[in-house]
Amino acid sequence: MGFIGKGLFEGMVVTARNFVGSYFDKERLVTVQYPEERVQVPENSRTFPFLVFDKDSDPVASMRCVACKICEVECPPQCIYIVMDRDEKGKPQQRPKVFDIDISVCMQCQICVEVCPFDAIKMDNNYEKSQYGRFDELVEHLPELLKSNEFYNKIKPTEATAVDAKLKADAEKKAKKAAPAAKPAATAAKPAAPAAPKPAPVAAPTAKIAIPDDAPFTPEQRQWLSGYLSTVAASGVAPAAAAPVAGTPAAPATEAPAGNWPWHDPGLGMQRRLDLAKETPIADKLMAAMAQTDCHACGYDCRGYADAIATGAETDLSLCLPGEAETANMLKKLMQEAGKL
Amino acid sequence: MIQPLTDAKPYTLTPGSNGVIETQTLEVSIGPQHPSTHGVFRMDCVLDGESVVALKPVMGYLHRNHEQLAERMAWLGSMPYTDRLDYFNSMTNNWAYALAVEKLAGIKVPDRAEYIRVIMAELTRLLNHSCVIGFMLQDLGAWGTPLLYAFRERERILDLYEAVSGSRMMCNYMRFGGVRVNLTDENLATAKDIATRFPRFLDEFEKLLTNNEVLLARTQRVGVLPKELAINAGISGPMARASGVDYDLRKVDKYGVYGRLEFRVPLGDIGDVYDRYYIRVLEMRESIKILQQALRDIPQGPHIAPEVKLRNFKIPPGDGYGRIEGPKGELGFYLVSDEGGKQPYRYHVRPPSFINLTILEDMCVGHKVADVVVILGSVDIVLGEVDR
Ligand code: SF4
Ligand code: SF4
Repeated sequence: MGFIGKGLFEGMVVTARNFVGSYFDKERLVTVQYPEERVQVPENSRTFPFLVFDKDSDPVASMRCVACKICEVECPPQCIYIVMDRDEKGKPQQRPKVFDIDISVCMQCQICVEVCPFDAIKMDNNYEKSQYGRFDELVEHLPELLKSNEFYNKIKPTEATAVDAKLKADAEKKAKKAAPAAKPAATAAKPAAPAAPKPAPVAAPTAKIAIPDDAPFTPEQRQWLSGYLSTVAASGVAPAAAAPVAGTPAAPATEAPAGNWPWHDPGLGMQRRLDLAKETPIADKLMAAMAQTDCHACGYDCRGYADAIATGAETDLSLCLPGEAETANMLKKLMQEAGKL
Repeated sequence: MIQPLTDAKPYTLTPGSNGVIETQTLEVSIGPQHPSTHGVFRMDCVLDGESVVALKPVMGYLHRNHEQLAERMAWLGSMPYTDRLDYFNSMTNNWAYALAVEKLAGIKVPDRAEYIRVIMAELTRLLNHSCVIGFMLQDLGAWGTPLLYAFRERERILDLYEAVSGSRMMCNYMRFGGVRVNLTDENLATAKDIATRFPRFLDEFEKLLTNNEVLLARTQRVGVLPKELAINAGISGPMARASGVDYDLRKVDKYGVYGRLEFRVPLGDIGDVYDRYYIRVLEMRESIKILQQALRDIPQGPHIAPEVKLRNFKIPPGDGYGRIEGPKGELGFYLVSDEGGKQPYRYHVRPPSFINLTILEDMCVGHKVADVVVILGSVDIVLGEVDR
């Protein structure tokens, strides 16, 4: 041991070295003069969620969110509030009318992002969100939440590229699956047009009447409908008169090939879907009562959930989140009608 | 004679029959709003002059209903809440909870994930111990110097956390059956860099503190916790080991891959504040050893067990207790799952801070009130965990 105060003295040397070093040694020069300087946040960094849309021309129509409400249910502090958009007739539009996130409650946990099956919600890395008020100012509404896919690509290039690739692959897979399915759909449609004198061009690829791109139809329905409308137009029958006829056509489910469920279209209303599934077994009727988003909120897809209920494997009838009370009530009614409840 | 402010009778101090002036004990409430109580925590001290006669810790100011909240939420939902228990060490909290759930559900964790968890936990130990020492010296009156040096190093680790998990402190990184994102080579290089640099910082830190006469005078033979008392009171972590209790869950349970890693468990012999300081320095050195081995051995492979579902995750009825050696001591989660199994029927946290704090009075009685603050600093508490 040395003299008394040696430890103190050594400590002072360390302090002095740090003090002097803090002027030119980069290792010890750690202060960042915010807000003049800012550190670059890492790509993974997260703050609050935002909603992704694809087309700049129409953010609302091209947003990925289908209002399935999975995130609303899973968010641990329950800070998301969603109301599904409906048209005047009350038909669900598969997008939220209201999507609020209370960022004073949000704990930036990213669970909403992880559970969203549609890659619709992602984490921002903007950390400068202070506001003057602490109530309404801290609730973010749909317009503030919507950000473009380009923006997402800009802040998180690696992650966004992977998501884009996945979505593209999914879309291709879907298109491939739809192509062979189109034929049986067309055949099934034939008896549906008794008024049409020339049923041959029903599924003609060169349809004269194009269905608008944003109409809520699956490719096979689109193909059938456009062919059907062309025929109707050619034969001079008013489409309005033909429409109710088109409601009855679905081939009996026993003959319907797997994957050919005309009611499996989120754009149709509940009554319409049930009509389409009128002559079918209970499992199909149950399926028609679902919201048809295949969002997996229930833990299955729409088909799987309906089958599980029909076989008795699933007893909870309130799992379809996007279908809301409408679906739950209808499921109960159908089960009662079938004498299973 | 003391002149009173009122016009009552003058107050005189008269010696009693034994010739000693009779005085009263004084009750002083330290906290809940006091910088040295490390948060909203109150100590009801009874003082005789400057010496402590009795001391009662008063907790509950930061109670957030953590356990009840968890019982109303899906299993995954409480993972981000565990970050907020001991907000210094969110990684180890995540691990303890994930471990309990994995035990209960019988999930096997892939090797790479186990190594990633070890790396994250040891980094957490580094940042916790260095900051705790900093805080303790802050309470001693060293102002910011050691604390800010510790914070400077901690920042490097937090930067790595942010790059990996997305957040500096509220990591929410572990998932049942693994971790949320894989470590990239870049992340591993950063971790290696931290592991090689840290010893240099520790040397400097020790030069500043270990032989410092002021520190020695204020901490040696202060707040002694005898070995028997430590065992009887269920103390764990560095506090127990400073009193000479050879108990480290990494050695006892060998959870994760700790069985494959080589390290020693430092033990103190007196159990005073100085021992508790020095134990932490030694533990950091061991942590660096573990880190280097883990970074060397980390295998390739999946970072999460593929069969674990994120949503609709259900656990068959049963109960389980998962525990790990957190930087502060034994952190355990006791979980009960019942019919349905969508959320815990009972969710209990065994927080090391809380249990280590119960012994505060025994360590403080007889010391000066200024020492109470130092002793509290050496216990290493975080109120988020004490009150939950
Ligand atoms: S989980 Fe559903 S409601 Fe939430 S963002 Fe994704 S699509 Fe929209
Ligand atoms: S980040 Fe977490 S708290 Fe915030 S909205 Fe998403 S799920 Fe809710």
